[in-house]
Amino acid sequence: MAAVNRDNEEEVKTDDGSPKIKPRPIVRLGIFLIAHSPVFSVVFSAAGVLALLLLPLLAKNTYISENALMPGSARSMLSNRDVSDGSKLVKDIKNFRLNHEGQGVEVQKLIGKYMSDMGAEVSYQKFHPEGNQFHPLHFFSGPDSYTLLENVSCASYGVNVAGIIRAPRGDGKESIVLVTPYDFINGGDYEDLSLGIVSSLFSLLSRVTWLSKDIIWLVADSRYGDYRPVAAWLTEYHSPSFKVSDLLKCDEQNTADNFRRAGTMAAALVLKVDGRSEKFEDTLSIYAEASNGQMPNLDLINVVNYLAVHRQGFYVKVEKVVSLLSSSWLKIFGEIFEAVGKLAHMLNPDWNFGIPAADYLEGSATLASSLYSQALGIPTGPHGAFRDYQVDAITLKVSPRFPPDSKTRQHDFFLRGARLLEGTIRSVNNLLEKFHQSFFLYMLTSPSKFISVGVYMIAFALLVAPLPMVAASLYIDGCKSLTNSTDNPTENFKSWKWLDAAKQVFTLHLFGFIVTLLPYFICQVPGQHSPTNRSIMWGTTSSSLLLITFVTMPGCSPFSSRLHGTNWAILKSVTISAAFIGLCLMSIINFATAEIGALLLVPTCLMAQPIKPALRSRRLKSLLGAFCSIVLLTIGFPVMFFAISKGLLGEGLVGLSLGGEFWTWLESLWAWKSATYLYIGMVHLPCWLLCLCILFHPS
Amino acid sequence: MALHCYSPFSVLSQFRGSKGNRVIICADLLSALLLRAIGQKLQKSYRMNLRPLGVLRSSQDRGILPCGDIAALVYLWNPFTILSCVGLSTSPIENLAVIVSLYGAVTRRVPLAAFGLIMATHLSLYSAPLVFPLIFLLGYGLDAPPIKKFLQTRHGGVETGSTSDVSKQEKLTPTTQLPFSWRTVLHFVFWVLVWSSYVLVLCSLSLKQYGGLEEMFKRTYGFILRIEDLSPNIGVFWYFFAEAFEFSRNYLLIIFNLYILLTSIPSLMFRLKHRPCFLAFAYLAFTSILKSYPSVGDAALYLSLWALFVNELTDMEYSFFIFCGYIGFSLLSPVMHNFWIWRGTGNANFYFGNAMGYACFQFMFVEKSVNAMLNHDQALKKATAEMTKNLAITVIF
Repeated sequence: MAAVNRDNEEEVKTDDGSPKIKPRPIVRLGIFLIAHSPVFSVVFSAAGVLALLLLPLLAKNTYISENALMPGSARSMLSNRDVSDGSKLVKDIKNFRLNHEGQGVEVQKLIGKYMSDMGAEVSYQKFHPEGNQFHPLHFFSGPDSYTLLENVSCASYGVNVAGIIRAPRGDGKESIVLVTPYDFINGGDYEDLSLGIVSSLFSLLSRVTWLSKDIIWLVADSRYGDYRPVAAWLTEYHSPSFKVSDLLKCDEQNTADNFRRAGTMAAALVLKVDGRSEKFEDTLSIYAEASNGQMPNLDLINVVNYLAVHRQGFYVKVEKVVSLLSSSWLKIFGEIFEAVGKLAHMLNPDWNFGIPAADYLEGSATLASSLYSQALGIPTGPHGAFRDYQVDAITLKVSPRFPPDSKTRQHDFFLRGARLLEGTIRSVNNLLEKFHQSFFLYMLTSPSKFISVGVYMIAFALLVAPLPMVAASLYIDGCKSLTNSTDNPTENFKSWKWLDAAKQVFTLHLFGFIVTLLPYFICQVPGQHSPTNRSIMWGTTSSSLLLITFVTMPGCSPFSSRLHGTNWAILKSVTISAAFIGLCLMSIINFATAEIGALLLVPTCLMAQPIKPALRSRRLKSLLGAFCSIVLLTIGFPVMFFAISKGLLGEGLVGLSLGGEFWTWLESLWAWKSATYLYIGMVHLPCWLLCLCILFHPS
Repeated sequence: MALHCYSPFSVLSQFRGSKGNRVIICADLLSALLLRAIGQKLQKSYRMNLRPLGVLRSSQDRGILPCGDIAALVYLWNPFTILSCVGLSTSPIENLAVIVSLYGAVTRRVPLAAFGLIMATHLSLYSAPLVFPLIFLLGYGLDAPPIKKFLQTRHGGVETGSTSDVSKQEKLTPTTQLPFSWRTVLHFVFWVLVWSSYVLVLCSLSLKQYGGLEEMFKRTYGFILRIEDLSPNIGVFWYFFAEAFEFSRNYLLIIFNLYILLTSIPSLMFRLKHRPCFLAFAYLAFTSILKSYPSVGDAALYLSLWALFVNELTDMEYSFFIFCGYIGFSLLSPVMHNFWIWRGTGNANFYFGNAMGYACFQFMFVEKSVNAMLNHDQALKKATAEMTKNLAITVIF
């Protein structure tokens, strides 16, 4: 109550000295929240975590939002003749490979010949399988044209084959892309099947009359990974380099001037056949996450899912975290939610939000996987390369239920797979504009259920809501305590007391920025170094930089004397504000990173308080608080969290190898231009350091 | 120097070619130097104005901040300045012209002030109404507490030997009217006419083959006033006019352009005529929210002008909140742009929402600054009133 009075006074003072003006209701609500911030922060944080757990319950069924798609409304035109074309290609490739061991280029020519026999324009593209390099300015800069190295060795390069069918009813301005990653040197039998499916379809598409968008079939050379060839082909497609590549001289085959294009891409489908299905039916897995948690338009997934389930009888699934399926605490939650749902249904038959515990488990496992791959920011397949050019794309991984050499089943498999693709292409072909009707920001809890941005943002908003409240309340407290100590030189500047704290926060954020950039310079160090060595280099340079910062700017150091140090309440207030801004920014760039980061950072920031008074007072409550903040800070250190999430602590792998693994992980993050890397370096690390400063604050 | 310290950006700027950059860096440095000179003048007048009022004791003299240095540093180290310098925007040159005109008026170099104003107007139309603050500055002198307080103190008999120019003038004319030196103003108007005719003649000579002055006005001022380019910027108008119907376009154009002129100038002029430099700041901040093609360079200018008044604005409310808002929205803006233009998952509303939020915080900043300045004057009044009362009591006994 006293706090409320205090805040009312504050408000009255700001209201131009007229005490009779009653503040508006919204202001009064704000004051009420700020005055009771400890209670509300606990309530809001708990509600945020609960809302996250409730998300699988709140998932809605997917629906096809764009009417023009009309999936499955046309009868499939795929005939046995087309399928036998596909089978013939597969057989030819197999025979060819038996006769000519290890001659990749010849297989490409064989495929190219098949394509041109079907009436397609064929082009070959050479690319260099160059690794991604860290460059500090390349985040968010969109796809860059890979600069060609000066001395390219002819020993390692890949060749993509692309065939284009010109649409009889189109004007050549739009296209649909089909991609089959294929390892020309040592591709397995399953990879041949994917070629078979697409060539069956290609044979059909070369003679249909309804096509209004050109069809591109890209056979990507997957010797050097699935992603790289597709990315190289897309770069050449969108931003050709006019420098004559050294790669062209490597082979007599002229690939220079026959690169073919076919207008804007409306959608892209990547097809892979992989392994044998464990289920009784053929399984279709859908992968959709592109870089930085971007997703293709939901309608594309809906169309594929609808056709696969209702027309071709595939078992459709999306990736899930299998270990969560057997977790007992999640099961308990599921049962509680089920019981509550049943109870609600009994009270009012209209309330149908309960779902069975098993469904809840499945949904949570899928959601967790979706969150994880979005948070990592690394694309889950070659479709990620398309998203950089704003093309909606997904990867379809089909697992047949038969062994690859069974001829009888193969025909049926080709027929169904090609019909699925035909239906999808026919739907996309109907579109007059880009996919825009349905969601871009969503998470899947099953192939036919999704959570839209409006729902999952609630969980995040509840989680971070305490931050501004606590910041405001601490700010008021800090100002009060500073005003009380009268012989303060900053007495004149009533409203600028936060400047010192802001300086400290800014310095540590600058430090975080430099630490984020350091790997770039460490990579420039000549000589071969193991990841462990590099991580040691990184660690030592960062910590010495931190020491230098503390020595040169005594105000920033947690171990400074009381004279230099700022008031910890104001420091905490500014820290929390910085964390709030950082988290909110990140939630827009990549929601999943922000959500996971908030789960770590929000409690750490809220619990952080000076440890010395707590030790001095020796009261149980304050000691408990100090202990909690120490534990949270320990977990919150990025390397520590990485170790915990990897489960490495149990295996006794703590030490140098951990640093190496952490380095490798970060390297993969920046190689994929994941914003998570920036988040860790520029938001999480500085805020963690600031919390440490508050913990050791000499007050 | 500040500009070279920003390594990632300077790399980028070197890449762009350093020829244009050198001019812009020079403009920025010159602006900072002039700001420093303006600040020193203002600081001197601040001290001289407070001493006769009896508010400032000699012990507190040290408490006055060197506002010129602060303003120059704020200008050079402002991320907005660095961004507009790196982006090779022309706003540093526009800013230089504005600062030159203010500097000329503060140091009473009338031709320089007129030249700055004409160049600023030539570069960007929105600088034209700066003529009012400049006239006040030349007519009334530097920023000072309102005249009534001086009169009060004189009646109380506290007037001590003052050396200030302003109070010397008051001694000569002890009326409730502010002394206004018409001669300087007429001198200024004359120089404005001279410079503008000079610029116009030069332009008409050089543009003879390309359609003359009429074409120039159409392509420059017309382009600014008619808001023809609707590509997204950090302002709010592009969205309005992209959405507006064609038949209401002219109406909206008139409304919006008059809005800038009528809401800012008369009201601010009335309340802040005793503080012409602050009036210039308030006007520049106001236009940078509402102009047709705003840029971060405008924000850099008004923020550094604002820093000239750190002494007066120590009690500004919600400073931390506004600071956080500025940081948040200026970081959010590129993210939203990326979301809309690069990724294609957001739409124009995302970016426009951000621009609205930014404009809100700018409004709040101007409002709170003006409020703080008026409160400061009020507080001075209260303090002097108390002082006179005490002195009167001591005189009686």
